[in-house]
Amino acid sequence: MSVPLLEVDDLVVEFHTADGVVRAVNGLSWSVNAGETLAIVGESGSGKSVSVQAVMGLLQMPPARIVRGQIRFEGQDLLSMGRRQHRAMCGERIAMVFQDALAALNPVYSVGYQLAEALVVRKGLSRRDARRRAIELLELVKVPNPSQRVKDYPHQFSGGMRQRVMIAMALALEPDVLIADEPTTALDVTVQAQIMRLLAEIQAERQMALILITHDLGVVANVADHITVMYAGRAVEQAGVYDIFAAPAHPYTKALLRSIPRVDMKGRELEVIAGRPPVLTDIPPGCAFHPRCQYAQDVCRTEWPELRDLGGGRKSACHFAESVLDGTVESPADGDGGPGVTESRGMRGAGV
Amino acid sequence: MTDPTTAANIAAESHGGPVARSLWAEAFRTLSRRPSVIIAAVVVAFFVVVAAFPTLFTRTDPQRCDIRQSKIRPQWFDGPHPFGTDLHGCDLLAQLVHGARPSLLLAAIVVGSSVLIGLVLGSLAGYYLGVIDAVVSRAVEVFLVIPLLLAALLVLSIFRNVDFGDGQLAVLAPPAIVLTMFAWMGYTRYVRASVLETKNLDYVVAARVLGASDLRIIFRHILPNAIAPVTALIPTAVAGIIAAEATLAFLGIGVRPPAISWGIMISNSTDWFTGGYPHLLLFPLACLIATILALVVLGDALRDALDPKLR
Amino acid sequence: MGSYVARRVLQGIFTLFLVFFLLHVLTTLAIQVNGNPALAFFGEKVPTQSQLLEVKKRYNLDDPCFEQLGNPCLRPFVERLNAYLHGDFGTNLRGDQAVTEMVATAAPNTLRLFTVVTITWLIVGMLLGSLAARFRGRLPDHSIRSLSILIDAFPVFVMLLVYKYIVAVPVERWMDDRFGDEAFPTLMFKPSFDPDHPWATVVVPGFLLGVTGSAAFIRLVRASQLENYHADYVRTARAKGLGDARVTVFHIIRNSSIPVVTAIGFVFADALAGAVITEGLMNIYGMGGLLWRAVRESEVSVVAGMVSLLAVVVLVVNVLVDLAYAALDPRIRYD
Repeated sequence: MSVPLLEVDDLVVEFHTADGVVRAVNGLSWSVNAGETLAIVGESGSGKSVSVQAVMGLLQMPPARIVRGQIRFEGQDLLSMGRRQHRAMCGERIAMVFQDALAALNPVYSVGYQLAEALVVRKGLSRRDARRRAIELLELVKVPNPSQRVKDYPHQFSGGMRQRVMIAMALALEPDVLIADEPTTALDVTVQAQIMRLLAEIQAERQMALILITHDLGVVANVADHITVMYAGRAVEQAGVYDIFAAPAHPYTKALLRSIPRVDMKGRELEVIAGRPPVLTDIPPGCAFHPRCQYAQDVCRTEWPELRDLGGGRKSACHFAESVLDGTVESPADGDGGPGVTESRGMRGAGV
Repeated sequence: MTDPTTAANIAAESHGGPVARSLWAEAFRTLSRRPSVIIAAVVVAFFVVVAAFPTLFTRTDPQRCDIRQSKIRPQWFDGPHPFGTDLHGCDLLAQLVHGARPSLLLAAIVVGSSVLIGLVLGSLAGYYLGVIDAVVSRAVEVFLVIPLLLAALLVLSIFRNVDFGDGQLAVLAPPAIVLTMFAWMGYTRYVRASVLETKNLDYVVAARVLGASDLRIIFRHILPNAIAPVTALIPTAVAGIIAAEATLAFLGIGVRPPAISWGIMISNSTDWFTGGYPHLLLFPLACLIATILALVVLGDALRDALDPKLR
Repeated sequence: MGSYVARRVLQGIFTLFLVFFLLHVLTTLAIQVNGNPALAFFGEKVPTQSQLLEVKKRYNLDDPCFEQLGNPCLRPFVERLNAYLHGDFGTNLRGDQAVTEMVATAAPNTLRLFTVVTITWLIVGMLLGSLAARFRGRLPDHSIRSLSILIDAFPVFVMLLVYKYIVAVPVERWMDDRFGDEAFPTLMFKPSFDPDHPWATVVVPGFLLGVTGSAAFIRLVRASQLENYHADYVRTARAKGLGDARVTVFHIIRNSSIPVVTAIGFVFADALAGAVITEGLMNIYGMGGLLWRAVRESEVSVVAGMVSLLAVVVLVVNVLVDLAYAALDPRIRYD
């Protein structure tokens, strides 16, 4: 395959706020092919949602401004096409599922109406056909008793069911790319797993490209093909899912992995990443992660590490990527949980 | 929807200070930067001084009128009647100056007591709920059905012939009582809503668990949150009462003659406007509009500063 | 939905009962403090005891409780409620006309006035509010905001006074010169109501009354639309690829109409009070004009009857607003 289905290339997005200009996304690139799943992982404020909002044309401009970069769908730049054309791509070719389904569904319309809306408006379906299709969609996402529930309003659904409705709505126009922005964050752990399984099933069945935005590496382990880890507006590591879980090539990824609860670690204490994510108006000089990094050297405080190709389809933005990768760098945390990494019982650290 | 507490929390978080103080300090800072607010504040302050110390502005007794001196046009600096006289020969400047007090005093009394009633009933209803809340909420609903002005028309025309005496407060008593009776509901609703909102916040629950008394919880923890939105209502409410007073006086059932008010002056002079004496109407009208406009500008700015979600 | 309607209507009836009781207590108190209004019937003459009793009987003021300060006069209240139930809201002091009769002849003009008022609310309030929200923080927003402040600063009676005494006369004269005295524009600017041209002469007063209420609408429409512009479900609608027009009408305007509808209730109550002044000042023969005249002539029984009737109107509007609210917002219905 020569041209990726959807590709973000060197994207820079700034927000103009009262406190100055903030670079929310700084030279980010990623791509996804049909039938593939890409997970974009990062803490809140890392800019992980901004790039997909740019894809969907949902950024509020101003305050947001796309400084440079391209977003290509089937090789065609979405940013340079007209607003109307861009909007026409959304929903039909690229669709999106949002985090908080209760807020993301309009409270005053029945879910049937909202499922059918795009079909009626965009596809010119009759009300009756659209309704029938809405019921099919609810069936597809395994909402029980769909022909009854289609008349209900969002507030009458449980959290998990609402998220299924959201997914059904995104699937209405049979998109080629589905973007899910923290689709399970607001849900219980058991429901989270069900929703992820549903997304994976639908993706496999339709050979869609799926983009998952999350702060929780654990959630995407079983679903994703590729992972882009973001920190302070930049991609710090990009690799296949097995590579990342087997041996991360960036200290931040490493720390994220250690903060995932695992069955085989039962009874042991969970680690959290020390410190806070940087405030975007005040990103530290050099490598943005250095104040929290246990391997930090002098060079990290002054020089930004480029995102380098390490071969084998992986990239890392660390001066010592190779050493991190093969574990030759001495990490105090490996031994006694020294200054870099603190421990805490039962907390899922990196996330919230 | 962001509720005010969330908004306040966000504001507090982004400025890193305690909620209440940073909100007020921030509000004051934004307000003092707007020229319209400063002008409005000066105008309001000016009329308050006029109402408080009328003798600073005129030595003439507004009640000493000489019918032979009737309807003199404004003499400005060339005579004893800078703004001229009315049809009874009373000095217009003196009337204007002395007319400020009843309006402003009435508005202060009405809004002050309404806010007080609102704070008491609203916090009782919101905090204890149950029977108290049912009674208060029903009462609010009942009083809201009768518009302020209609109620005032009814009650004041019923009590028109009752003699309350001649003192300054006695003259103000009937409109003050009636307007207060039908103006407390808004504040009660606001306070009740914000008490309901605050009541279950963690720090209030914590205070309750620690055994703080109800009174202490209401005064220390809950009411401070209700004060900001209520404060934002006050200037506009004062303007509303001044307007209502003028309307009632215009109908002859507000502040009663021989007391002077701008409303009475306007009422007496309408027929003379086209008759060649426009100043009789224009001076009191200008005073009334200037006061109300200044208060409305202040209220608008205050609402803006204290309620960031509307910006 | 059905049970909600029933509940709301019953609640409204109960509130109405309390409103009537409140008004009754107020008037009773007035009679107890003020002396029996039956005396006013005789003017300067001093009636004999039997004459006075006769008149008192005619106005249902013969109950001894009216002489006892603090007595709530429950028996006359029950009688009055019964009378209200039978559509009897009292008569004028001379006893030759029932309040309901007077209202019936006056109501059409008030309806005309409120038609103009409502149209003004819709056009001025909705349009300017939406514009301000759309151009938030820019020139149109600032100008509209200044305008709404200016509107607030002019109480209805000042606005009408300025219009009637300062604006109307020269404009009417100018229109008269241009179009003749029977032309619509000339009639429109007549400084007082003309029963032969009930529509033309009600347009400007109605517009002015509508403008005073529209400041609240402008602010409310602006605020609720702004809230919706950034709502998650609006973002969802955009992500579905719906066009701007569709998103604006079916998601932003539709959802922001909910708080606006609830505001109609209290703005209406204010407008009703404003109608008294408008109709009084502009000599419009409407319900407000009747009330105005009754206040000026101290026709207490007419004032009381009218205020009770208007309270019924306000309450009916409030109940309708609540029902509209429930129809617009499904979250209310299923409580």
